[in-house]
Amino acid sequence: MPVAKQSFDITSSEISEQKEEEFAVISTELSKDYGKKRALNRLNLKIDKGQILVLLGPNGSGKTTFLHLISTVLKPTEGTALVMGYDIRREPLKVRQVSAISFQDPRGFWRHKPAQILSFHASMYGVSGEERKRKVEETLKDFELWESRSTKFMHLSGGQSKRLEVAKLFVHRPKLAIFDEPTTMVDLDGKRMMWDKIRQLKEEGSTVIVATNEVREAEYLADKITILANGEHLVTDSLERLKDSVKGGDIVDLEFALPIEDNLLKLVQNIQGTAESKLVSESRLRIRVNRSEDWLPIMTDKMHEVGSNRITSIKVAEPSLDDVFLEYTEKTA
Amino acid sequence: MGRSQLTSLLKFDLREAFDSVAFTVYDWFFFGFQFFIYGEILSKLVITLPNYLFYYGTGLLILMSFNVASWSGRRFVESAHEGRLRYLLSLPITRGEMFLEQLLIGVIINLTRVLPPLVVILLLSGLYTPYTLALSLVVLTLCTIGIMGLMVSLSVIAFKSFDIYSAIVASLSAILIRFSTVNYPISSMPSGYADASLSNPVTYGADLLRAAVGINTSVLLDPAFAATVVIALCIGTVFLGMFFLSTVVEGVKSS
Repeated sequence: MPVAKQSFDITSSEISEQKEEEFAVISTELSKDYGKKRALNRLNLKIDKGQILVLLGPNGSGKTTFLHLISTVLKPTEGTALVMGYDIRREPLKVRQVSAISFQDPRGFWRHKPAQILSFHASMYGVSGEERKRKVEETLKDFELWESRSTKFMHLSGGQSKRLEVAKLFVHRPKLAIFDEPTTMVDLDGKRMMWDKIRQLKEEGSTVIVATNEVREAEYLADKITILANGEHLVTDSLERLKDSVKGGDIVDLEFALPIEDNLLKLVQNIQGTAESKLVSESRLRIRVNRSEDWLPIMTDKMHEVGSNRITSIKVAEPSLDDVFLEYTEKTA
Repeated sequence: MGRSQLTSLLKFDLREAFDSVAFTVYDWFFFGFQFFIYGEILSKLVITLPNYLFYYGTGLLILMSFNVASWSGRRFVESAHEGRLRYLLSLPITRGEMFLEQLLIGVIINLTRVLPPLVVILLLSGLYTPYTLALSLVVLTLCTIGIMGLMVSLSVIAFKSFDIYSAIVASLSAILIRFSTVNYPISSMPSGYADASLSNPVTYGADLLRAAVGINTSVLLDPAFAATVVIALCIGTVFLGMFFLSTVVEGVKSS
């Protein structure tokens, strides 16, 4: 995994200059076994305070296990993690006081009603009296659950129960808010509303971790993205830098005034950063480059020097997060 | 903050537990049928033990408490498999407080179910006084806590499989109830049975309850010794349950 290592090293060297208290989560060699199966393998990860970190990975990559470990629902097999400075092994109660998790599949409250569930959740985090009443009402309305506030949980639709699961964290706004696939089962309007609420949570000072395998969700929310696969940490970086890290990820389409000759083709192929070039038609060339913003100025200088054929059109397409995701996860497959 | 959270959790769980009164009403019907029909007929057949109806009735109360305690363990296993446990484990409450809450729920539910039958027995036997009522309730509470501590500990061991837990509890109840003085006194048992029953804490719970009510005191084990055994059982199983809950229990992996 040369690409993954390279990119992670950049991040590591940058974050090593930061102080411990600037991180919401620091996991050290964090591992979890289920019987003989290793679900998470020696995860070293630092999550900045006040950011949204999106954990991206295919099913079974260890996302949920990691979230359950840092919320003290599971016990690590090896290693540990600091959550807001508290050790998940030695100070689990303090960890639970500063963090809260919204689970992937909302279950277990069959006979309770949404208003009761939110009120109970708020009371467990010390929100009391009129403030609790107000926050519960406000959250029910925000998450479009007001009409069904007195419906038993077992009679809610899949989307409603999922919204309720996510809404729990908005009645007390924890310092570390953890969402495990927050918008599965939710319709498109609902997704957008929930993403905006999650962003708002960050703006109000919470650190947010979102696990998802929905690339669009990651693109919408992430300040930084961590990609996991098979319980291994592959990379952590910003979306932009992850896209840049894909070798030959940018696609440049060049259209020339005259047919492309061999010497021009060779010239383009020899420019630093060119990964691949292909003639699409006699006057059109498609080139895959590492970073188009570095490659294009060099290319235009060279064309100017040669001066035999004029460029009439330049189109640049960046890699999508899908490409990034596949680039990293396919290497471990 | 701990006590208010414990109260919140208790209220939340009680609301759910009492959302349906079907099981409570069923327990009262069960007691009524067993006591007034089966017990009445049996007491006519049992001639060596006077007032067998009340001996049998107090045994039924122990059986009902045993069932509530088993239900508490089962509820704990169910909560793990239904995803409720992982939510509880993520809340800012200690594992000890969580265990205590489980015990309190069991005790409250048990008292709700056994109180009316107990009052019926005390009134019909002419032994009702506030003192016998209070003492009997204390004994039933201690028995419930002791058995529930055991059941919750067992539920932790059999955590990964609901079937294993059900099989263990069904076998255990069959053994613990039969080899005990829930239905018949030690003096009426063959020697092998008597030895097994004397090593069973349920025997001491049943005899202690009868001593508290004041029924058939001549065939009962020494109340002071019985009380010691019941209290030791409570302390032992509560510590065991707390130990398991704080060291072993974790949210079951989502399937």
